[in-house]
Amino acid sequence: MNVIVCYKLAPDAGDIEVRNDGSISLERAEWGIGSFDLQAIEAGVRLAEATGGKVTALSVGPQKINNSKLKKDLLSRGPDELTLVVDEALNNADTALTAVVLAQAIRKLGAFDVVLCGEGSADLYFQQVGLQLGERLGLPTLNAVSKIEEEDGALIVERSLEDEVEVLEVPLPAVLSVTTDIHSPRLPGMKEILKASKKPVSEWSLADLDLDGAAKNRLETISTRAPKQAQRKQVLIPGSPEEAAQALVGYLKKEGIL
Amino acid sequence: MDFRMTEEQELLIQSLEELLEREAPESLMAELDEKKEFPYQSWQALADHGILGLGIPEEYGGTPADIMTMTLVCETLGKYAFPLGIVYSLGMITILDIVQFGSKEIKAEVLGGFVQGDPPVALGITEPQAGSDSAALKTRADFDGEDVIFNGQKMYCTLSKQAKYILLMTRDSKIENPYEGISMWMVPTDSPGLRFNQVSKLGWWSVPTYEVYIENTRVPKKSLVGEMNCGWPQLMANFEIERLALCAASVGAAEAAFEDAAAYANQRVQFGKPIGSFQAVQHILTDMAVKIENMRNYIYKIAWMMDNDQPVRLEHALCKLYVARAAFEVCDDAMQILGGLGYTTDHRVQRLWRDVRLMRIGGGTDEIMYNIAGPQILKRAKKERG
Repeated sequence: MNVIVCYKLAPDAGDIEVRNDGSISLERAEWGIGSFDLQAIEAGVRLAEATGGKVTALSVGPQKINNSKLKKDLLSRGPDELTLVVDEALNNADTALTAVVLAQAIRKLGAFDVVLCGEGSADLYFQQVGLQLGERLGLPTLNAVSKIEEEDGALIVERSLEDEVEVLEVPLPAVLSVTTDIHSPRLPGMKEILKASKKPVSEWSLADLDLDGAAKNRLETISTRAPKQAQRKQVLIPGSPEEAAQALVGYLKKEGIL
Repeated sequence: MDFRMTEEQELLIQSLEELLEREAPESLMAELDEKKEFPYQSWQALADHGILGLGIPEEYGGTPADIMTMTLVCETLGKYAFPLGIVYSLGMITILDIVQFGSKEIKAEVLGGFVQGDPPVALGITEPQAGSDSAALKTRADFDGEDVIFNGQKMYCTLSKQAKYILLMTRDSKIENPYEGISMWMVPTDSPGLRFNQVSKLGWWSVPTYEVYIENTRVPKKSLVGEMNCGWPQLMANFEIERLALCAASVGAAEAAFEDAAAYANQRVQFGKPIGSFQAVQHILTDMAVKIENMRNYIYKIAWMMDNDQPVRLEHALCKLYVARAAFEVCDDAMQILGGLGYTTDHRVQRLWRDVRLMRIGGGTDEIMYNIAGPQILKRAKKERG
């Protein structure tokens, strides 16, 4: 079974800096494979291992995604090959543009059985791209997929919903977005890391995809601001539990919470 | 000079850090230390991850790796789970001796098993009368047909009960020069005639040490590793790597102690402010940071020299001497900053303090390092003067 796994790079949340005016700086942020996409990669690799076939990883974005270390990181986690659509016009691409470009790249890649996406991107977490991509490709599309098994050329999948687990048979090809609990991502060892640099990587630009002007951002980001941080009051209430509870109620009333 | 890690090294270390957080968390290390149990489960996780195969030929399931990469691995193990760093470092000398001198049969059995998760081969060299003076050993090997029979006693034989084999050093007393009469043998630890008596230690509780009594223990002659009576130079061939590995693990332990101390200095409030705001504490932390930086530079330089086939006889002795002391000083300073908490058994700093103290003794004492370095320094000075 040939699997295509889509992923997005995201800044390490711990490296994001909030400036005094509340604006966000990513200048010092280390970028990595989106934490929700790691599970999709693992699911794709397991599916290919179980059924025989190959895994192609796919990402679209500005030059930043063409990072040598991150390409090795990705390929050391099991995919057989990697395709990147690299174009500065994809900087801060919205979900619609990302889905359009992914869909066209997938058509260009040729025959496949299943496309896997993560639950959402690790930075914006709109959870839209997988669904829009399926629609663009005109294929059966599901999100919240927490288990995938192959059976007689189709997939039996479980969807974790709020009150129930839905079990569905999905004809192929299909586009699935997987949840974070589907699998724990594997940790590559030295063997896999060394092999990664020998795996094939294709690099395309938007011009290679014949998109006929369809590749446009529809969202304009005016500004991004972090919420104001309130100073914690750090009040320690001494006394017995009863006295402390009374004092706590007093504080909460004073603050207008009760 | 390029101080950057390769991309492959960065990825390996990131992956190893995540593995250790999953498979060797501090809570588990503390529990095993208290129970004085070997970290079998975490060790197996290292094997499954391919870490134990680093530096072992691919035909035995290993992966080629340079000494710099193995040094980085030791440092990371030391930082996240010091006992694993010790075990890995102790394994280096015996495992690399087998890679270099073992017969095909021994390599297939021992290296194959190690890569799959066997504890490392224990080194049986020290004896009651032969500590730093290793060549004074008395354990003997007598031949009987196709077999060899051992008699003697070994001290401080770490992991000998957990290991499947001991790399046993024996001496032929008929050869006058002890360095020309020592041989190296691969002895299964379940051989009849071997008796183990656990040594009670101040630290290294997850890495048990034993006295081994050897009475008429018989193995086939083919258990010889390398050449007869060439055991001493064979052992010395990889002593420097073991010392470097122990140093790297110690640097990792010092980094862990430093991070605990720095975090505590920011968090602990006394006299109305964090104790880190007091100059007295800042000075201690700064001295610790300088030592860590120096230690790291030292071990990386030695690793680079070894990877580039440069002699390190003087440098490794200086490095071992410095790191063993500085790493302990950093742990001691961390305990000072943590105050009463650092002295309690609830905190890992006391464990690092106990564990790292051995580094001034094990793998060659400070005094032996002086003995190695001193003549080399004088020899080099003479050479430079022409």
